[in-house]
Amino acid sequence: MMKHNLKIFSGIYFLFTFLIVLSNTALSQQKGINLKVIFENKVKSDSIILYDSIYTNPFGEKYSINKFRYYISNVRLVNNQGVFTKNTASFLIDEADPQSKEINLKVPMGHYKRLYFLLGVDSSKNVSGAQDGALDPTKDMFWTWNTGYVMAKLEGISTSSSLVNNKYEYHIGGFEGKYNVLKEISFDLPEADDLKPINQLTILITADVNEWWNAVHEIKIIQHAAINSPGALALAMSDNYSKMFRIKKIIIN
Amino acid sequence: MKFITLISFILFIAASAFIIHEEQLLPHLIQPEVPKGWPKPNNIFATNPLTEEGFQLGRKLFYDERLSKDGNFSCASCHQQFAAFATYDHDFSHGFNNQFTTRNAPSLQNLAWVPLYHWDGGVNHIEVQPLSPLTAPNEMAENIDSVLQKLRKDAVYKKMFKNAFGTELINSQRMLKALAQFTGSLVSANSKYDRFKNGQEKFNPSELHGYEVFKAKCATCHNEPLFTDNTFRNNGLPLNSFIKDFGRMRISNESKDSLKFRVPSLRNVGVTQPYMHDGRFYSLGQVIEHYRTGIQQSPTLDSSLREGIAFTKLEKYDLIIFLNTLTDTTFLKNKKYSAPDGNTPLVLSH
Ligand code: HEC
Ligand code: HEC
Repeated sequence: MMKHNLKIFSGIYFLFTFLIVLSNTALSQQKGINLKVIFENKVKSDSIILYDSIYTNPFGEKYSINKFRYYISNVRLVNNQGVFTKNTASFLIDEADPQSKEINLKVPMGHYKRLYFLLGVDSSKNVSGAQDGALDPTKDMFWTWNTGYVMAKLEGISTSSSLVNNKYEYHIGGFEGKYNVLKEISFDLPEADDLKPINQLTILITADVNEWWNAVHEIKIIQHAAINSPGALALAMSDNYSKMFRIKKIIIN
Repeated sequence: MKFITLISFILFIAASAFIIHEEQLLPHLIQPEVPKGWPKPNNIFATNPLTEEGFQLGRKLFYDERLSKDGNFSCASCHQQFAAFATYDHDFSHGFNNQFTTRNAPSLQNLAWVPLYHWDGGVNHIEVQPLSPLTAPNEMAENIDSVLQKLRKDAVYKKMFKNAFGTELINSQRMLKALAQFTGSLVSANSKYDRFKNGQEKFNPSELHGYEVFKAKCATCHNEPLFTDNTFRNNGLPLNSFIKDFGRMRISNESKDSLKFRVPSLRNVGVTQPYMHDGRFYSLGQVIEHYRTGIQQSPTLDSSLREGIAFTKLEKYDLIIFLNTLTDTTFLKNKKYSAPDGNTPLVLSH
């Protein structure tokens, strides 16, 4: 009796192992494409050299850049049947860290028409306690006295600033109510209809820092050299910087 | 067929041995405490299962001075158990961080029933709260990173993180979750008042009268059983001209929130002096005098306090007697919450 039970049991167990192995191979062989989104940060057409380069904003104010960072989350692609692929990860794009400027995701095969992403960190991740990875609070993008992520950060020196050492500092955040700075950004993928991605879809996006000052609202360094908390100013700045992206190139191979 | 059976049998044995081995390493779940008759707590352990090992790690961290930059301050240096984890007898607690010399350290108790932390509600989750004392605003990272460096060098911590979370990895998320397991477990619900409500003890006539006074004059904001409704209100304190703290307005950016602070729980209020967000009153007598004669009129003053609150001498006296029935000595002395004995090896066996 005992022996019989064992036989059945181990038989079932064997079947299980077999199924698991089978499904694993099936998964790894599933057809998918690599989606690579590369962010290239610029001031107009100039590349960014942290600390050392001097740029001029649309008001003629001179500035340098010491820190330039922003979060990209919930990257989605929609195909010609209107079906989205979902990904809820967050990525911190940090000008100081070249590797951070490239996002790699695996997405199913498809004829994709539009790319979407959230500029910032999904509000749910702002209210659910300690996170890790790109959202680790030690990344210097988290407010401790007013819980929430700094969605985008731009810091440097400007002779137009009257703050200590001519610093200017924009820490833009706020995920609730009327001061919510989260922005959904989307782009048509122009050649979508004849896209036949096989292995890799690479989307090169530029981000122009000079849009921060006046893309929608005029924000001069001389008037506002620091924005450090959620509110109307932060919201205005986010309206501006949400216009900083352009698709530069799409590569299919 | 025999061969396959044999193979699968071997696999089975190997796997069960593995599973049994794993099981021994799994941390031991604890049920969060919910006192009888209390409302449902917020699910603060939703993504942070409360375990014996996690709690013990949090407890060790809470009492560890190495968490501060200069090694002089632990959480417990501002949050003292005998004062219900408030800072006893100091209006502003001492610390390495100027930010916190501007507010009075509140008691830490029943935190699972608090929807928003801090006097102004600026912190929305118990796990991220410690980042605030551990760092200065807008200067994140350097301190936390160096704290983590210190912990990673310590073999005892390595073992405790492994026991609590499965591997020796020490990162901010795990440290914060462990601290939350400790602070979130600090439940105080065994005062004389509680035993009176449960029919285990009687109130004397003074206490009974004080309770009636309380229900009539204070319970709209400090409502039972938690002795707070957790709303933000202006209770008529004049602006402190040194620290210029406008409370909730700093978080909401709304002028309607000017001078509003979170209604604090009055549990253990007999041992948490001084009182209010800036620790301006040193006795319950002074607090009641404030409500009687000190109310400052302003646009955001709570409408129920426009006329102040009238008291006879006896009412005032008995109200203080009642407030002292909220002291829970079992909580103040509970060994489970006190400093772990640094010399004993980790007590994690069951
Ligand atoms: C220098 C003194 C000091 C130290 C050290 C300190 N705290 Fe605090 N704590 C405070 C003060 C002051 C507040 C109130 C802050 C506010 O309202 O802005 C507070 C608030 C809290 C709260 C919120 C309570 C509530 O009801 O809102 C918790 C939880 C807490 N501290 C836990 C900790 C932990 C955990 C540590 C160690 C990592 C710690 N504290 C270290 C002074 C301190
Ligand atoms: C309108 C709402 C309201 C009413 C009514 C009210 N309080 Fe308060 N109470 C508050 C608020 C808000 C605070 C915190 C104020 C601050 O620190 O700025 C507070 C703080 C306190 C504190 C300080 C606790 C601590 O830990 O610092 C005590 C003690 C207190 N109240 C007792 C009473 C008593 C006794 C009564 C009845 C006579 C009463 N309150 C009525 C809103 C109220």
